[in-house]
Amino acid sequence: MRNGTTLLLLTAIAVAGAAYLTLGDAGPAPAAAPALASVSDAPSALVIFPVGEKPNPEGVGMKPVAFNHLLHENRVENCESCHHTGDTAACTTCHTLEGRAEGKFVTLAQAMHSPNSARKGQGNTPQSCTSCHAKQLQRPECAGCHSIVKPARSETYCSTCHNVSGLTKGDMVAGIAGSLPDGRNAELAVDTLKTRENPVQLQPADGPYKVFIDEIADQYKASMFAHRRHVASLMERVKDNSLAAAFHNQPTTLCSTCHHYSPLKDTPPKCGSCHSQRINPANPERPQLKAAYHLLCMGCHKGMNVARPLNTSCVTCHKQSEAKPADSAAAKLGGE
Amino acid sequence: MAHSIHIPTKDKLFNLGEFFTLTKGNILTAVILAGGLIITLIRFTQGIGSVTNLSDVQPWGMWIGFDLLCGVTLAAGGYFTTVACYVMGMKHFHSAVRPAVTTAFLGYAFVVVALLYDLGHWWRLPYMFFFPGTTSVLFEVGLCVATYLTVLFVEFSVAPCEWLAEKFPFLLKWRALVNRATIILTIFGVTLSTLHQSSLGSLFLIAPGKLHPLWYSPFIPMFFFVSSMAAGGSMVIFEGMFAHRGAHHYMDATHLREADEVVFSFSKAVSFILFAYFMLKCIDLLVQANTPYLCSGYGLLWLVEILGFVLLPAFLYARGSRERNLKICRFAAANTVLGIVFNRFNVSMIAHNYALPSAERYFPSIWEIWISCFVVTMIVTAYRFIVYHMPVLYEHPNFKGSH
Amino acid sequence: MNRRKFLTILGSAGVASALGTAKVAKAAGGTHTWPYYENSYGVLHDTTRCIGCRRCEEGCNKVNNLPGPDKPFDDLSVLDKPRRMTPNAWTVVNKYELDGKPVFRKLQCFHCNDPACASACFAKCFQKQPDGSVTYDGSQCVGCRYCMVACPFYVPSFEYDDAWDPLVQKCTFCEPRLREGKLPGCVEACPMDALTFGRRSDLIKVARARIKANPDKYADYIYGEWDAGGTAWMVLVPAVPAEHSLAETGHEFRALGLDTHLGNRPMGELTAGALGAVPMIVAFWPVLFGGAYAISKRREAMHKAETETIIRDAREDMANVMDAAVRKIAETQGPGVADTARQAMADALRTREETCANRGHHGEDK
Repeated sequence: MRNGTTLLLLTAIAVAGAAYLTLGDAGPAPAAAPALASVSDAPSALVIFPVGEKPNPEGVGMKPVAFNHLLHENRVENCESCHHTGDTAACTTCHTLEGRAEGKFVTLAQAMHSPNSARKGQGNTPQSCTSCHAKQLQRPECAGCHSIVKPARSETYCSTCHNVSGLTKGDMVAGIAGSLPDGRNAELAVDTLKTRENPVQLQPADGPYKVFIDEIADQYKASMFAHRRHVASLMERVKDNSLAAAFHNQPTTLCSTCHHYSPLKDTPPKCGSCHSQRINPANPERPQLKAAYHLLCMGCHKGMNVARPLNTSCVTCHKQSEAKPADSAAAKLGGE
Repeated sequence: MAHSIHIPTKDKLFNLGEFFTLTKGNILTAVILAGGLIITLIRFTQGIGSVTNLSDVQPWGMWIGFDLLCGVTLAAGGYFTTVACYVMGMKHFHSAVRPAVTTAFLGYAFVVVALLYDLGHWWRLPYMFFFPGTTSVLFEVGLCVATYLTVLFVEFSVAPCEWLAEKFPFLLKWRALVNRATIILTIFGVTLSTLHQSSLGSLFLIAPGKLHPLWYSPFIPMFFFVSSMAAGGSMVIFEGMFAHRGAHHYMDATHLREADEVVFSFSKAVSFILFAYFMLKCIDLLVQANTPYLCSGYGLLWLVEILGFVLLPAFLYARGSRERNLKICRFAAANTVLGIVFNRFNVSMIAHNYALPSAERYFPSIWEIWISCFVVTMIVTAYRFIVYHMPVLYEHPNFKGSH
Repeated sequence: MNRRKFLTILGSAGVASALGTAKVAKAAGGTHTWPYYENSYGVLHDTTRCIGCRRCEEGCNKVNNLPGPDKPFDDLSVLDKPRRMTPNAWTVVNKYELDGKPVFRKLQCFHCNDPACASACFAKCFQKQPDGSVTYDGSQCVGCRYCMVACPFYVPSFEYDDAWDPLVQKCTFCEPRLREGKLPGCVEACPMDALTFGRRSDLIKVARARIKANPDKYADYIYGEWDAGGTAWMVLVPAVPAEHSLAETGHEFRALGLDTHLGNRPMGELTAGALGAVPMIVAFWPVLFGGAYAISKRREAMHKAETETIIRDAREDMANVMDAAVRKIAETQGPGVADTARQAMADALRTREETCANRGHHGEDK
């Protein structure tokens, strides 16, 4: 035990450091994500104001965004993913409403929403909120639906982020001018994130257990669709996904890939209400009923990389009718 | 005269003895003809697919590429010689006219025969006159070839008339009529030839994606026409070479005296034409910016064709006619004829469908090649029959100087 | 037949054929009226939807009463090798690879707006119908197969093994079914709506809408909208993500065996220039060669006249010399001797002239 003292000392230092770090984090972290640990000294949350150089005494502008910095910094690879210059200054330092020379005249709106940026020869290629979020849609658990539907660019889509609450006119004017004190800014952001509630999705049990699709059963028997199992499986996959939780902003959002184009409610119309069995000359772009089913089922399975069943293995989903094979065989013989 | 020309008389019209002597040529002819007849039987009872390698991506093969394209081009000697003699007034070519017209007539006649092999519904060939597809290049080719074949028949008919005049004197009237119309027939012939010789090239204008860019050109009709002139002149020399070997004793003094002069004059003319053709091809290469293709396999093929079979014979012809060297001229003629065949093969088969995978490419079957040889043999045999019986290489004593 | 008569015939044939073309154009739904093919039908083939199930092949086979396939339609192993249309299979599905993923494309006649086959056929077997289909009437087919050479899509196939009635076979767009108000067999059979039937003008809008709605999914081009002058059947092709994309534009289309070098004009127009030169040559060549003939003839006549003048002059000179000589002899030796001398000289001259004439004739051409 010649080194015992040293070991004990080192252990004590490690424990003390861990305690210090833990205590130091616990203090300023907002309630929004207490489980996460910050790796930087950046504020955990902040409000991004539409900073502009034009005089704006009335404080007119898009509702600012309450940005959960802590959550995002744990999701991205490193700071440079967003702070593309390597300098961890605020976005609005270079990107203002009008654009500044420092930001190569890329406006704030572009910097936040541009769907893609030209790849840079050197250094980081900047990405916007929108482009990074769109990339997330390619994850298998998302791509099933999102290869079929694009998020609707509606009012609720914007207000998912542009949602600061408790904002006074004075705050806004100061924010636009870039002179709002950091403390007030953080307070606004934390309050907003604390009070925000994500809508509760309809549950698998709210839908039917099984659905028999038999409207066009002819050559094949009716197809049994395990509705509840499919919904449950989908929800299971995205249950921990905070992006999905924030943007699936209606109770029926998850339903609306299949039950689309009709006002969202828990008793959707039948597919055949719109998809006729024969092509409708008035709407040649609308898939016929059979194709509508196949496009949804196969589109989602393909997006989620579900290997089974094979697209061309018809009888996995619907068994062959007894009468029909003889029929088609006769037709074949007739042809010869 | 030292030549034993057989002049048919009223009582002895035929002179078939030459065919029944046991020479190598006759045996070969008999073998090819016998085999050809068997293939013909199979072709017309079992379908085109039974003897050819044609496919849906290569619908035109040996029978079009050789029998039709080369057949028509190499029969260009007819218009080339008649124009030189009658229109340009080079009367010293006169003894070359009849052999040239005879070959041209045979060439065209057997082009039609060969075409029947290639046509699915060969008996419907005249349908093109009843349902004329006037937007089709092939319609123009068909119309011109049919008309020109008629013209050639009329021009050629003088020879059989003289042969049979003793027995059927009324033929003399027809002969006189044709002789009076000589110049009209000649001009008519050159017009039709210009049209269909160039149109054989135009046939491929509609398939720019299939023909290799080195051969595809908006000027391809002109290339075909210009090269047909070279082919016509060369063919007169080329076939003259064989005629001298095989039918020397059927040539009269005038023919023999003029023959060499014909060779040298034609050599000079063809040399100019080949140089012009070479320039045209080079200009086309530059205008279409096709030079990068020269570094490919097809580029090599193109260079071989242009340097070895256009530029080389052009120089040889120039030298041969300058030095009055019969051997060089004849070699150049063979070179040119081969070059024309090579070019037509490139356009219709080798550089055609160049982009397809090699498994889908075409190579003629042995039976297709046999039928092509069969057709050539038929032409040679018919030519021999004609020169053995009719005043083609000699002047009939009854009609001396009367044309 | 004399020349003028023939030219008249040829000339009138040209006019008649031009009129014929115009009439056909009118009958075929207005090749030369605007707008082109206003109400014609087409099919949009969306390869992003196609799953390669061969149902279209089966549907085509059934409605057209074609002989059974070599391998049953549910045997998908045939997709491993590229296939083409045959006389008994007017449509086939092929598998291609694009960006590492399989893509299926159905092959059939594209039913061009201004078809190369119809332009090339010299017996008028092909017709572009007002409904958009390109139909073939085998009853007047000569079997020359120029249509197959002309078709930029390698569509028509030929019954090489039939000796008595070999015909060209290709997709008919189920023209008889269209007339009955039914869909083409393949379209009806497609379980994925990878084939959308409709007015061509509508289909272009549908295709554009799909591309706009899913810019990442579709290559931004409707194959067949303009290619080869526009086709009734059009193809949408999946996009390859920009980071995987090769530098060459249109490589997605080439990967699916679609020719991207056809240009946007009908193939038939390529031969129009050459055919347009025909009347020029017919009109101009006889003049040119007639002129050349006249020149050579005239030169010959001039040459002859010149020769005659020279000979006449020479004869006169000779006669003068002879007269002078005879006169001299008569003066010196008396008229008797002079007569004998004249006779002798005349004889000598005649002999000489004959020799010359003979040699001249010998060297001269007939």
